[in-house]
Amino acid sequence: MKRNPIYIYPLSLLACLLLVMTSCEKKDYVLPTAKDVLQNDAIKRTLGPNIVNDTIEFVYAMGILPSKGKLVSAEVEASIAGATGTFLEHRSYYTNTSGVDVPVEIGNPSVNDKTKTTVTFTKDTSAAALRYTYIVPEEARGKTVSFTFTARSSNGETVNYKLGPYNVSKMDIKHRLTVSNANNAYISIEDMAVYNDAGAAANANKIDLVYLYRTYTTSTFTHALVAPAADPQYLPDITLPAGVNRNTKIQRAFNLQDYDLAFLQFGIYIDDRDFQELDLTNAPNYAINLKAEAGIWVETADKKYRAYVYVNSINNGAKSAVISIKRYAL
Amino acid sequence: MRKHINITGALLLMAFVWTACKKDNPIDEDGLLITSRAECYVSSFELLGTDFVTVRTKTATIDTTAKTVSVTVMFGTDLKNLYPQFTLAQDCKLDPKITGRTDFSDLANPREYTVVSGNRQVRKTYKVLITVQPR
Repeated sequence: MKRNPIYIYPLSLLACLLLVMTSCEKKDYVLPTAKDVLQNDAIKRTLGPNIVNDTIEFVYAMGILPSKGKLVSAEVEASIAGATGTFLEHRSYYTNTSGVDVPVEIGNPSVNDKTKTTVTFTKDTSAAALRYTYIVPEEARGKTVSFTFTARSSNGETVNYKLGPYNVSKMDIKHRLTVSNANNAYISIEDMAVYNDAGAAANANKIDLVYLYRTYTTSTFTHALVAPAADPQYLPDITLPAGVNRNTKIQRAFNLQDYDLAFLQFGIYIDDRDFQELDLTNAPNYAINLKAEAGIWVETADKKYRAYVYVNSINNGAKSAVISIKRYAL
Repeated sequence: MRKHINITGALLLMAFVWTACKKDNPIDEDGLLITSRAECYVSSFELLGTDFVTVRTKTATIDTTAKTVSVTVMFGTDLKNLYPQFTLAQDCKLDPKITGRTDFSDLANPREYTVVSGNRQVRKTYKVLITVQPR
């Protein structure tokens, strides 16, 4: 059938006009109607791996129309009871115009009963956002943990919100150990500790690294972390305590400012998987000329542990350094 | 009107046939373009450690006549795990390819890398001579 263009053009024009008219139609804003039942919501605040003895933080928000009732209690049940220090805030926070979080007390301090942490409201409160800090217990290592948040209101309503499961890392973490030349110079990955000469002699079979600081005119040595069994040229003028002889594998790393160790702004996290995939087969047993914010990957001689030793800071004058350790048991 | 359409159509068809029959530019087994360039040399050289920071103490010396790259590395450099980086003349490629960490610890038998020119006709083999800075 042959179409007559006389009809096609006006029809297209009309369609365009219709489109323009409808797209410009003004719609009045209408306030959303609040639900008339008890409501809740929760988020996990912390990022990165969940590490034993470290914290996982959440915020639990709940609200009910004042005409329907008030909040009576808030409760969190973890699938594995949190370690000592686990708590649910009894203060609700709001952010003021200066961006500062301001607390408003709404109840009694939380009470822990096995897996449950409860706050009972003492103020007439219809809405609150409570922070929950879970201290990861030893029991959760390598497992998963879930959380059920529950709110109750005076009109008998109960509402809950589930979060998780979250994997708990097998890693351990140790912050800010000070090592110094010829004093606290012996590092044990197994103990996550630093020893002096006497301590090293008493724990000889656990010493994995020796810290030393040297300056030479011909090369840059400065701060070093070296295995006791390394070539003596990397342990100049050092007499090791009796029995300190482990051959640790070491690999230097730079620009790996793990947030848990460095607390810098970088959102980098070393997780279990990094240690699982780490290959130090051909790694040497020394790392010299270390800088602040650098680090080393380590595998102990008995292959029981892999670790990342991060250099938080160095002090040339005091011939010392501050280190932090993340450790993974193989 | 119909006449114009036919002429345009014929022209488009001719253009298509012409481009379709044009001989492809030659590429080698790595999918790289083989060009007419015969230049064949290393213009600069870098050595990085496992932390991706240079281990050189100064710029590498490249002798295009003796076909050597001489580099002094810092005391304590882990020679078994280094990442070499070559800058080559235009269109050249390197044989063997660098695919990851390379072991340079056998100082008595320096590693050799062959530079292949853009026309793939010229091959020059360079030795990487490493000297470790004394303590």
